[in-house]
Amino acid sequence: MTTEELYRQIGGDYADTLRRLGSSERIQRFLSLFLREDSCRALADALREGRAEDAFRVAHSLKGMCLNLGLRALGAAADTMTEALRGGRIPPAADALYAEVKRAYDQVEAGTALLDAPN
Amino acid sequence: MTAAGERGEEKVAKTKTDLILIVDDTEMNRALLADMLTPTYRVLEAADGQRAIDLLQQYQSEIALVLLDIVMPKLDGFEVLAVMNKNGWIGRIPVITISAETASTYIDHAYDLGAVDYISRPFDERVVQRRVKNTIMLYSKQRMLEGMVADQIVEKERNNYLMVEILSNIVEFRNGESGLHVLHIRTLTDLFLHQLQRTTDRYPLSSSQIAMMVNASSLHDVGKISIPEQILNKPGKLTAEEFAVMQTHSALGAQIMADALQRHREELLQLAYNICRWHHERYDGGGYPDGLRGDEIPIEAQVVALADVYDALTSVRVYKPAYPHQQAMEMILGGECGAFNPLLLQCLCQVGPRLEEELRLRSPGDMAEQSILALSSQALAAGQASSRTLTLLEQERTKYQFFAAMSSEIQFEYHYATDLLSMSEWGARQLALPMLIEDPAGDRQLAAVLDPADYRDLQAKLRAATPDCPIVDAVYQLHVQGQKRWYKALARPLWEDEESGQMEGVIGKFVDVHERQLQLQTLQQRAEQDSLTGMLNHAAARERIQPYLAQSGRQYAVALLDLDHFKEVNDRLGHMFGDQVLQYTAQRVRRGVRAGDITARIGGDEFLLFLKCRQPVEPVIRRIFSGLGGKFHGFDIAMSMGVALCPQDGEDYETLFHKADQALYAAKKAGKGRCLFYEDKMRDLLSAISPIDR
Repeated sequence: MTTEELYRQIGGDYADTLRRLGSSERIQRFLSLFLREDSCRALADALREGRAEDAFRVAHSLKGMCLNLGLRALGAAADTMTEALRGGRIPPAADALYAEVKRAYDQVEAGTALLDAPN
Repeated sequence: MTAAGERGEEKVAKTKTDLILIVDDTEMNRALLADMLTPTYRVLEAADGQRAIDLLQQYQSEIALVLLDIVMPKLDGFEVLAVMNKNGWIGRIPVITISAETASTYIDHAYDLGAVDYISRPFDERVVQRRVKNTIMLYSKQRMLEGMVADQIVEKERNNYLMVEILSNIVEFRNGESGLHVLHIRTLTDLFLHQLQRTTDRYPLSSSQIAMMVNASSLHDVGKISIPEQILNKPGKLTAEEFAVMQTHSALGAQIMADALQRHREELLQLAYNICRWHHERYDGGGYPDGLRGDEIPIEAQVVALADVYDALTSVRVYKPAYPHQQAMEMILGGECGAFNPLLLQCLCQVGPRLEEELRLRSPGDMAEQSILALSSQALAAGQASSRTLTLLEQERTKYQFFAAMSSEIQFEYHYATDLLSMSEWGARQLALPMLIEDPAGDRQLAAVLDPADYRDLQAKLRAATPDCPIVDAVYQLHVQGQKRWYKALARPLWEDEESGQMEGVIGKFVDVHERQLQLQTLQQRAEQDSLTGMLNHAAARERIQPYLAQSGRQYAVALLDLDHFKEVNDRLGHMFGDQVLQYTAQRVRRGVRAGDITARIGGDEFLLFLKCRQPVEPVIRRIFSGLGGKFHGFDIAMSMGVALCPQDGEDYETLFHKADQALYAAKKAGKGRCLFYEDKMRDLLSAISPIDR
């Protein structure tokens, strides 16, 4: 799968991201870096352990990274999560919101694994 | 890329390209920005606010720009900005925020704290590159302008200074005095004003204000230019009328300044006016021309008044010879020259001892440059330091780092403001510690290398250091690469300025002296030991025994032991065998006593025992004696022993030794092979120990 196809699949904005970052090689490189951050697990841990401030920071970072990489769908889910956590407490809707984030994240992860090697 | 960038102190190649600090808790973001900015720029990375501050402290003016995230753990971006404000870095180092937060409150708050711009997300490579480039360019232009302004300020002060110097020379020339009077007044004014700052809070002055007063003091006698020469240079005593004319020089000088003041609101002129007009006023109102009293007299005039009196007394004048320093002090303190502010007189007493030397040593050249810099410093500080100063600073740091890298020494630096200890690269590697350590007093890694008690000892020594004696020198053990080695610590405090007591930091080094220390210890041991048997020699034993005897309340025994027929052993069986016998005996003696007792070889075949007595005293000692004999390779070891007891037979070492000696002689005389305790009837016996051995 090419990067362009991946982006189409996960609801990302390829054209804009390519324009901003300069090359598809860079996009690929940073996609793997992004996944290495393992933000989803960090978010799950923080929510489970009730650490609201840490959860906020992870969600916020995740949103930022998605913005940079043009991962619209995941970014939107992360954004909703961030705002819900901004109050400093974990809201009741957290589980549902997290499920959304995880779904989008898994999609990105799965798709990235199938990417062609950069040429 | 990022792995290397995280540890900021790694090989940041020393080229001329600008250095950018990227602060963001997300590795991906740092990597992305770094990717976009290298190779045009060099990059440092920090994952949280604290690390960012540490790097700013370390690299300071080298950093051309900071890209700062806001939301971070530990210290966030706002807190970093606050610290940058506090340390004065915000004016010199531009900060661009890169937060994903777009709420205007965040952005405004960052601006309020001194950020110059923000780059929103998502990052666009060309936007990032352009913004960074423009900001750096703008700031470098700004620094250049600052430099030019600073140079102008220094130039102006230099011109001022020159004018004042010329003016005062004119006046002095006409007075027929040597050029030294003005120099002396300046020196004295400088000394008194600085001492005043140390003594009291009543007249708070900055060092540039003091410099300006010192400069103005040069003009105190400017009014004399209007005094007729016959009066000015009259060798005898002045008549009442002549004196009245002379007195007008104060008001005349002030008039000159006032005229100039009409046109120029210059502080220097105001100070010169005050000094000219009132340097003959006295604290009790008994001076002239206006009879001001107490603190109505501006402090600069009070100080110059005192300086003028002291210099007049101790210099040759047309109408008098020079009086010695001591006499001048007595006259002033005795009130013979008018009343002065008690605080000032206190200062006079405090600087008194140094006065003669300072006046002799200070040359016009020194004072000039010092004054000019002090005068300029205020204006420079109000802005930021000029780029020239920064360049000089930069050079100093480069020099320092070069020497640190060259020398295989553990060099370190510590700053109180940031509680940060930094070490040279080589040093950190030697000790297997990080180059930067926050809160070193509480750091466990450091405590494993340098024992906390030693750390505190070094701290105490540094606090006790003074500007006159700043260097601290001590030897400690450091735990290095699994071993304990001896190191000499050489360090000194860094004070806010050379005079005030506020300690800002410490600089120093640790030098490996292990081999030398061991050598020292070996030499010491050898000096105390008998080389054949390894026992203490007489001198060392005596040194160890005397402290015990000095304490009363316990019972001790001094016993002298001597091998019987030893000379025959040497003659018949040879000296080598004799030596072995001695070694064997030494061993038995050592083993025969308890741990706290002291044994020594004090002569050819003579030994000394110092025993802490156990009850019952005599039987115990006899038992020890009988246990000392034995057979060594067929040779029967027989000994004689004489014992003296403390406190019964004496309490000082010489007495006890002498009596044990006599008891030993008695034992020999009685047939050898026995142990005798001192009795009074032995008093007149000769000594058993050959004179050479005693």
